[in-house]
Order: sequence, then structure tokens, then C-alpha cells
Amino acid sequence: MNKDTFLKLIGAANASESGIEPKADAPLILLVGNPNVGKSALFNKLTGQYVTVSNYPGTTVEVSHGHCQELDRDIEIVDTPGMYSLLPITDEERVASDILYSPQVRAVVHVVDAKNIDRMLGLTLQLIETGRPVVLALNMIDEARTLGIAIDHATLSGRLGIPVIPTVSITGEGISKLIAQLKTPPPLSMIRTECGSIIEQGIIAIASLMSPASPISPRTRATLLLQSDLREQERLVKEVGEQTASTILDIVASTKAKLNHSPHYYVTLSLRTHTGQILEGCVSLPNRAPARVRNFLNRICTQPLTGYPLVFIVLYFGLYKFVGQFGAGTCVNFLEDSVFRTHFIPWVIRLVDATHLWAPIRDLMVGEYGILTLGVRYAIAIIFPIVGAFFLFFATLEDSGYLPRLALLVDRGFKRIGLNGRAVIPMVLGFGCDTMATLVTRTLETTRERLICTILLALAIPCSAQLGVIIGLLSGQGAALAIWAFVVTGVMLLTGWLAAKLLPGEQPMFYMELPPLRLPTIGNVLIKTYSRMVWYFREILPMFIIASVLIWIGQITGLFQLLIKNLIPVIRALGLPDESAVAFLFGFFRRDYGAAGLYDLQKTGVMTAHQLTVAAITLTLFLPCIAQFLVMQKERGTKVTLWISFGVLVTAFSVGYLSHIVLTWMHF
Amino acid sequence: MKCSFCQREFNDEQVKDACQGCPSGGGCHMVKCPYCGYESPREPGLIKKIRSFLKANDREKKS
Repeated sequence: MNKDTFLKLIGAANASESGIEPKADAPLILLVGNPNVGKSALFNKLTGQYVTVSNYPGTTVEVSHGHCQELDRDIEIVDTPGMYSLLPITDEERVASDILYSPQVRAVVHVVDAKNIDRMLGLTLQLIETGRPVVLALNMIDEARTLGIAIDHATLSGRLGIPVIPTVSITGEGISKLIAQLKTPPPLSMIRTECGSIIEQGIIAIASLMSPASPISPRTRATLLLQSDLREQERLVKEVGEQTASTILDIVASTKAKLNHSPHYYVTLSLRTHTGQILEGCVSLPNRAPARVRNFLNRICTQPLTGYPLVFIVLYFGLYKFVGQFGAGTCVNFLEDSVFRTHFIPWVIRLVDATHLWAPIRDLMVGEYGILTLGVRYAIAIIFPIVGAFFLFFATLEDSGYLPRLALLVDRGFKRIGLNGRAVIPMVLGFGCDTMATLVTRTLETTRERLICTILLALAIPCSAQLGVIIGLLSGQGAALAIWAFVVTGVMLLTGWLAAKLLPGEQPMFYMELPPLRLPTIGNVLIKTYSRMVWYFREILPMFIIASVLIWIGQITGLFQLLIKNLIPVIRALGLPDESAVAFLFGFFRRDYGAAGLYDLQKTGVMTAHQLTVAAITLTLFLPCIAQFLVMQKERGTKVTLWISFGVLVTAFSVGYLSHIVLTWMHF
Repeated sequence: MKCSFCQREFNDEQVKDACQGCPSGGGCHMVKCPYCGYESPREPGLIKKIRSFLKANDREKKS
């Protein structure tokens, strides 16, 4: 019994366990495309049950391969892992691109979602350039028709120089045409995407030194080398030897030196432009009201003249009205006063008192700074409604697709502070948690950017709970809130500007493909909010309890009183009441814990608007929490972390002191 | 899963790759997009259970 017969008999599931590999010299037809374009459904339609699933050697990435009854039985059809571009980022993409290098590839079927053809045709162009025979399958064409999208596939085929077949993998529409097309090797297209004279010269110089025997065209390989594809560099050394590889890498370096931006930027831009030219007149989109509204909103979000006022409106309604007034006002008041102070705390005190515990243990549980009376109360009555409101607002923004547009909008402004639009990711995440955001600074391209972003996160980006509490504290007094926002933003911009001037280094480019704007769905928004709240409580509740225990230990040993005593002169210099020293001490554990302390203090009515403003400014700029300090130390090293912490502490108190002086002078 | 920022899709294995070398060692309960680095909290068990219950319900209805 030969292998094929055996596979047919045991079926797909058993085949995957059998570890049986296809014939080493079998001609291959590859199904390539983005994730979720119906590639696997198309694969199943082509192969039926004659499927083998195995891990790609050396990886955990699964690759399915099988036979199509209507094609030559030697031909293997391979369902490659999802890929967005020939320049791989993930293991899946690396595997997909490795399979493309196989010398047995007879044809490549690029499966695209017909609804989003404009975003996917770039990969078709890249695949054509590899020198492989390509067939374009316009999958999900039925959904495109329903949306009123019409694609003239005959014209598109003529322009691309490859067969273009509309398919619906679920119903089988177009599958027979696709199979008929694959019976003989599809024609080769000579279409190329020009990437500008400098890159083109580089490509020609590199390609002339590469082996023409390679299964992938030297042009594609040269383009990948120019985009710093490490995998391609490894292949190069193996193929041409170290000396020629070194000459080629010198050409790569000299080409890059002649460009203002990275080659990847020019390649992406050229592919986008070429895609637009090819699709011009081939695709007609519905001229319906939702599409027009979406285009209009897209322009409003990204153009500075309308984009910045929109940011202000979003912040006013989202942060000030919803998080500040509703979350930190109405909800906190209800939970604090009507639930905790009226019912929970008296009940828990009675309960603990009834057990006649040893006095210090009683204090630990229900004393002034007890776990239940302070730690749990801060976490549930103050922080819970605030972060709940914030995460609901944030999830709505996320689900609408607004954040990438915000990144594009602020790109130019961020460049003045040594960053670019990419830094919106850690900055925005910093509003959720600065510690996590500090870890995310790894995604920034240069050390300089990572350092500047870490400094700004430590100094001027308040986490959601702290931000909510502060907005709640100051929301009754518009002028105080405006002064706080002005000072904190000013310090952030000034620090960023100074850091950008003082730290040497290049300014990387930022570009990203904008996902479409969407109407947020309630289910998605609620799930995201719930997920974030569960995560946040896992983070903060233990920290708040630990803080209560540490304060309790500090009280027993007298250390707490000593620290308060030493902090009081600084607090007085800021014009604040002595009682606020406790809130600042809390801030050393977590900034949101300190903000909750300030909120507590404000309720007793001991602070004026002037004092609240100064305290809010100082606490926002205050030292990061212990967790953020540790992450900074891990990411940026001990020396840099100590310098940042020292700088942040000095800045926080200096700006607080200056604010106090200026506000006194202004009789505020 | 789909990234909330760039809308690209990825799976659990790709998340592991994206988090390689992170000092939190997965203790952060976050999911990091391998394409843009954006982080979202991992879906809690309760939501996963509700999803699988709804899926099972759908399958029953179809059959």
C-alpha cells in the first residue's frame, strides 16, 4: 500500500498523528494569504478529506497539505500559515515565506478577501515579483456583492497579467474554474512595482551578485535584504559565501544611507500607490451614505485642523463628563457614602470587635489604615467605579478604530519631543497602567525613543485610576482642572523637548496601515471593559493590601510617623495641609493609592481649590509606583532608573512649589 | 484573536513569540500583538466559558 492510499484510508485526523510527510519532490500548489480570508475553507474544498497536518520542522506552526482529486495526484496542495507581507514578523509568516522558497512550487494561489482587496493586493504584487506563477482568488465575492462592491476581474486580470478568479469557498462558487486554471502552470507575469531610483539602483546592484538559480527572483530577495530581513541575510551567506554577502550588505548600507527614510517605508508606499493605480476603475465601491460618512469621519480624525478639536471633544465628554463627573463623582459617592461608610465599614468593625482580637491585629484589619477600612475601601469604593468608567470609555475608542488615527494625528507633534506616532501605543496604554506601558516601550525602534518615552511615562502620564480621581477631585472647579491640565501637559512637552534636544540619535519614521473606522459593538466593548477590570483588580487589590500591611508595620515600629514628620516641611513648602503628607506617602506605593488618599482628604473639606490644584499637580508628576520602578530598572538599567526617579522627584516638587507661588500671586 | 489597535489577527503561539524575553514572564495577563506591540488583557475564563456555551448552543440549534 503506497503512502497516498494509506492517507486516504486513515483520513486527516489520524494522518496528523502519523507524522507522514509528503513526497520530497512532489510539485506544490501553495495557498497564500492573510489570516481569515477563507484560505483554509478553500483548501478543504480543494482537497476534501485527503489532508495531512504536520508541524513545520523546528516550529510549532501547523501546515496542512493534501491532494485534489481533479488534479494530478502527485501534486500537493499546501495551506500556508497566514501572512500579511513577504517581510515576515511572526513565526507563521516566516514559515509561509520559507515554503515559498521551495523549488517544487508549481503555482501560488493568493487568496484575498474581495471586500478588502485594496488592503491585500500589495501581497499579490509581491508574490508576482517572486517569479512564481500566481493565481488570484477573489474569495468571499458573495459578501462583496452584498455590500455593493463590484470588481471587474477580467480587467484586473489583464492589468496584473495573472488569472483572477472570483470564489466563495463556503459554497464552492468558482472552485471548478480555479481547479481548471491549476491543471496547467499559470502564466508568469512581468509586472513590477518600482520603488524609486535609489532603491531600484540598489536592487539592480544586489541582484547582479546573487545566484540566478534561486527559486525566488533576485529582485524580491534584494528588496527583502534592503528591508533588513534577517532570514534573507542568513540564506545569502549560505548561498554566496561570506565575502560576496559582505559586498552585498555594503550595498544595502550605502543604499540606506542615501535615503531619508527606511527602505521598508518606500517599498510599502510604492506598493500602496501601485495597488491604487491597478484598482483604479476595476473596483467600484457603493456610493452609500455609511461609506460617505466613514470617509468624512476619517478625514476629520486625521487632519490637524479638525483632528485636534475632536481630541478635545473626545476628552471633554469621555474623560471629564463620563469618567470624572459620572465615574469619580456620582458612582464613587454612592459606593463610598451609601454602601461603604453607611453599611460595610460599621458592620465589619462590629464583626471584628466582636471577636476581641489583639489590638494591633484589630488595627491591621479595621484601624485607620486597616486592610478592610482603607485598602479594600480604596480599591472597591474609589478605584473600581473610576477604572470601570475609564475602561468603558477606552474600549469604545478602541473598538471604533480611533486610536490608529490618533497616532497619525499626533505624529508631527510627537516628533518635536523626540518620538513619533508609534509612541501613542505606550502612551495610551500608560493611562491604563504605566508599568505595562513601560514594558511596551520595547516596541519603539530606537533606544533614544524608548528612553524618552520611559521618562514621560514616569513623569507625566497618570494611570487611569489616578487620572479619574484627579478629574473627579477637580471637576467641580473648572479653573483648577484647566490649570492642572495646562501644567502637566506643559511639563510633559517641555521635558520631551529637552530630552529630544539633549539625547543624540536619529528620528525614525512612523507609518501604519489604517484599519477601517467601525461603529463599536456593545458586546465587544463590554467584554473588553470586563477583561481590563479583572486584570486591573488582580494587579491593584494585592498591592493595596500590601500597602495597608506596610503602613501598619510602619505604625507599630514608628517608621510611618517618622516619614510623615520628615515629609511635612516639604508639604508645608507646597502650601498644603500637614494631613496631605499621608497621601504623598501612599503615593510611594502606588500613584493611584496616593490619589485615593487625596480624594479621602478632600471629602473632609480641609483643602482649598488652590491646595487641591497644587497637590494634584505634584502627585501626578510624582515618582512612579514600586512596580513601575522595578520594570524601569529591568528595562533601562539601575543607573538610568535612579537618574529618572531623582529627576521625577525633583521636577514634581519643584513644579508643585512653583505652581503654589504662581497661584498665590494670582490670588487663586 | 484580533489586535484592538492594528486589527491584524494572530493566535496564542504568536503571542508567546511576541512576549519572549519579557521580565513579567506572562504574569501580566496581557496579550501582545506581534505586529504592532499593542497590549490587551487576556480574556477572562468566565467570558471564554460563555463563548463556548453559546457556540455549543449554536451547534445544537443547527443540528
